[in-house]
Amino acid sequence: MKTNGINSTNAQRSLVSDLVGQLEIRMLALALALGAALSILSPHFLTSNNLLNVLDQSVVVGIVAIGMTFVILIGGIDLSVGSVAGLTGVLLGRGLEHLTIPFAIVLAVLAGMTIGLFSGFLIAHFGLPSFVVTLGVMAIGRSLAYIFSGATAIADLPENFGNIVYTNIFGIPAHVLTLLMLYAMAWAYLNFTKGGRTVYAIGSNREAARTAGLNVLGFSILPYVISGGLSAVAITFASAQVMSIDPLAGTGLELDAIAAVVIGGASLYGGRGSIIGTLIGVLIMVMIRNGLNLLNVSPFWQGSAIGAVIITAVLIERLLSSRAFSR
Amino acid sequence: MKAEDSEAAAQPRPDSAPLLIATGIEKAFDRTRALAGAELDVYPGEVMGLLGANGAGKSTLSKVISGHLTRDAGSITLRDRPLNLRSAREAIGYGITMVMQETSLAPDLSVLENVFLAELGRPGILFYRRLKRRAEEILDRLGQKETLPLDREVRLLSAAQRQLVEIAKALALNSTLIIFDEPTASLSPPEVERLFQVMTTLKRSGHTLVFVSHRLEEVFAITDRVTVMREGRTVAKSLETASLRQAELIRLMVGQEMKEVLPIGPNRTARPSQTAVFEVRNLGSAPVVRDVSFKVHRGEILGLGGLVGAGRSETVEALFGLRPRQRGELYLGGKQYAPRRAADAIRAGIGFVAEDRRVQGIVPDFSVRENLLLGHMAASRKFGLGYSQRKAKLDDLIQKLGLPAERLDTNILNFSGGMQQKIIIARWLLLEPSLLILDEPTKGVDIGTRTSIYAMLRQVAGTGVGVIVISSDFEELLSLCERVVVMSDGASIADVPSEMLNEEKLTLFAAPRTSMEQNSAILRDIARDLNGAAFWTLVDQGRLFCLYTSVINDQADPGFRAGDTPMIGDTRIPAALSSRSEALVLERENQLATLLVSVRSDRGHDMGWIGVTLDSRTSLAPAQQLRDRIESFLGRIIKPQ
Repeated sequence: MKTNGINSTNAQRSLVSDLVGQLEIRMLALALALGAALSILSPHFLTSNNLLNVLDQSVVVGIVAIGMTFVILIGGIDLSVGSVAGLTGVLLGRGLEHLTIPFAIVLAVLAGMTIGLFSGFLIAHFGLPSFVVTLGVMAIGRSLAYIFSGATAIADLPENFGNIVYTNIFGIPAHVLTLLMLYAMAWAYLNFTKGGRTVYAIGSNREAARTAGLNVLGFSILPYVISGGLSAVAITFASAQVMSIDPLAGTGLELDAIAAVVIGGASLYGGRGSIIGTLIGVLIMVMIRNGLNLLNVSPFWQGSAIGAVIITAVLIERLLSSRAFSR
Repeated sequence: MKAEDSEAAAQPRPDSAPLLIATGIEKAFDRTRALAGAELDVYPGEVMGLLGANGAGKSTLSKVISGHLTRDAGSITLRDRPLNLRSAREAIGYGITMVMQETSLAPDLSVLENVFLAELGRPGILFYRRLKRRAEEILDRLGQKETLPLDREVRLLSAAQRQLVEIAKALALNSTLIIFDEPTASLSPPEVERLFQVMTTLKRSGHTLVFVSHRLEEVFAITDRVTVMREGRTVAKSLETASLRQAELIRLMVGQEMKEVLPIGPNRTARPSQTAVFEVRNLGSAPVVRDVSFKVHRGEILGLGGLVGAGRSETVEALFGLRPRQRGELYLGGKQYAPRRAADAIRAGIGFVAEDRRVQGIVPDFSVRENLLLGHMAASRKFGLGYSQRKAKLDDLIQKLGLPAERLDTNILNFSGGMQQKIIIARWLLLEPSLLILDEPTKGVDIGTRTSIYAMLRQVAGTGVGVIVISSDFEELLSLCERVVVMSDGASIADVPSEMLNEEKLTLFAAPRTSMEQNSAILRDIARDLNGAAFWTLVDQGRLFCLYTSVINDQADPGFRAGDTPMIGDTRIPAALSSRSEALVLERENQLATLLVSVRSDRGHDMGWIGVTLDSRTSLAPAQQLRDRIESFLGRIIKPQ
């Protein structure tokens, strides 16, 4: 039967294009290709030590990129993550002078969430552009970080503070495990809860979400709260890695996080993107840095390489998706 | 096949050579073939109707001809020369412009700047004074000098005004062939009328027009010839409009015999129950909604009629918790109901299909399933998705929609506009609401889907749900709804069973009060001058349709008010109203004397009666003198189209 024939070819075709259409799979392919290339170029790349190194270097950007994914999914942007990290880091350092480690960390995270709540409220309730609000918060955050730290690094941290990074659980460092757990949680939240789907719906069509009765205000604020809180989590691990807290810490983190999300295939207009894509984006970025180091390329070239990857990734994404989804 | 008979039938050959010939046009978008052998001949100076159901390829063909899209195959000739356009800009050079469905204006620029948008792209200095003179001249030619303030920013204009700007823009480019793509989609009947006047003016001044539409009445009203498209092909070319019958056109459009398309007629046999599902009392919601009251009964389809801008959408948005309310009470199922957000309304059992499907309805990155379950998400208080609890109902619904289950998880954008609309409606049916509100449910939906949406709504009402339908299409309102509440300038002004209405009466009721303020003032002047009461009413089969009243002297109260539709016998002046004579009629029951003056529109349509009622115990002037007095005022009266 003719119609059946047509249907089955359509089905095959859609299976292939579904796979190609899955942006995580495209990105994973890109990451694997990059990994393969690097292991050919450098014998040191594919060693367990170096791979752990890649994961270790992924933790800070990776955690911030989770929050950034939430923000970008609703069609916003959070430029303040780097300076929120800086500020909450300083608060953590000050906290550690008086409080127990867990308490100081919780306080820092709450501070980060509060800053996110502030930005999110201004953006969602007053309809201010997220770019402008978080730009302002970025400046304020860094300035407060200097003030609270007295513009010097806090180096006398309690000795067991480093344990949060260097304790191994099942052979995996605690901070890497935390990173993976946070990604698993974010993935489950975004895909299998009402809140997660609401985030996507808002980013895809805010007005339709509002008309359908979803809690648009609440879920437009939430991503900034998550982003602020995770900035504090990230700086906690960063501080433990180097056992020092600098008011300058986290400078440029926003760009890395945005880059990771974009490489991971999210649309800056919102509604499209995935948390797995972001994780792959983070890994691609860190792998490039790591690979260039192994190949003894001057660190000054790293920016160019990352920039080229961002643009290429977005270009490929556009070309592929315009072919797959054009009507 | 009958369709082919008429394809072979009359293909008129006018004397002149065609201006434009398009043959064998093909165009594919990825997997979808939008055009597969489309044809169009346009003769100079005619209005060609391009008719077809949604998705027939009318817009695509128009875009190919106007250079917005490039064709894959086929040929186009303009004045016998081959035309191979690569851009809309190039088409403009050949005098071809398209007035788009969604206007392509720059909202922050003024009307003047938009009219000459193409000039802004040229190097050199702009001479605003010269442009202004040219713009005025163009608008003057269109007879629309008053309706368009040149320095107004475009975003402040109504949809109809924007369209005029688009037309002016086309004229500023010296276009000879202007393609109107569904120009009436967002216009109210008087605005459509005005557009047709403009189109007639254009035709007279030698322009050639293509009118793309799926509304038959409009095609009959304005076109000289009709080309019908179906599934990307031209199925009938250049049929003379005058020789066509509606049924024939419908058959060509849908490709099958359809027994009834529009007039299913409201369900008058099964009377809806008298239990009110929902009641609104004196609703006020700034800035538009001032005073709205109505009731919806179980199993009833209630129409909310009026012109664009009357505040109908704002009213239902306020009912649904999407807009703050300042005044009024709402009752749902007899209980007071005060939604503060849409989720409250949804949990209380209300569903709302908003006017603009693309902007307010669909979530474009979501699958059909997720779009269907969006209302459920709002209603649910759970942390998780809880999709499974709706599974049985969902399966049932998609089967009723004729949606293959395996396509449930594909993107909603893969479906036609009509199917998308049905999915949005089903989004609420899934929650089994007690009240369903639909704002322009058939806007931009083809004729076949329209019928199935009507059937769907009828069926929903049949299960006891109260349904409110907003529509600017009066014909639709009258054929679908049992009762129509007419709104004007933010207030409900009449509540009439639709069997008593026709389009003309509805138009009279719906006329905006602000522009009609003068009429009220005139009636007030008459009432004051004669120290009585004055009114303007239609009379039809023993029933009044009162448009305006002004009662100065309470002794002379005729017993009805503006918006009322009493039987003649129930008023205080039955004798006068039933005789409708030239003379001053005295009532037997009371002391009232009434004089009626007939009103006719410029086209000679009956526009009802203007009357004065006086207290006969005071000294009365002779009838003729009273009549002269009234008529001396009437010169100033404004008659709706």
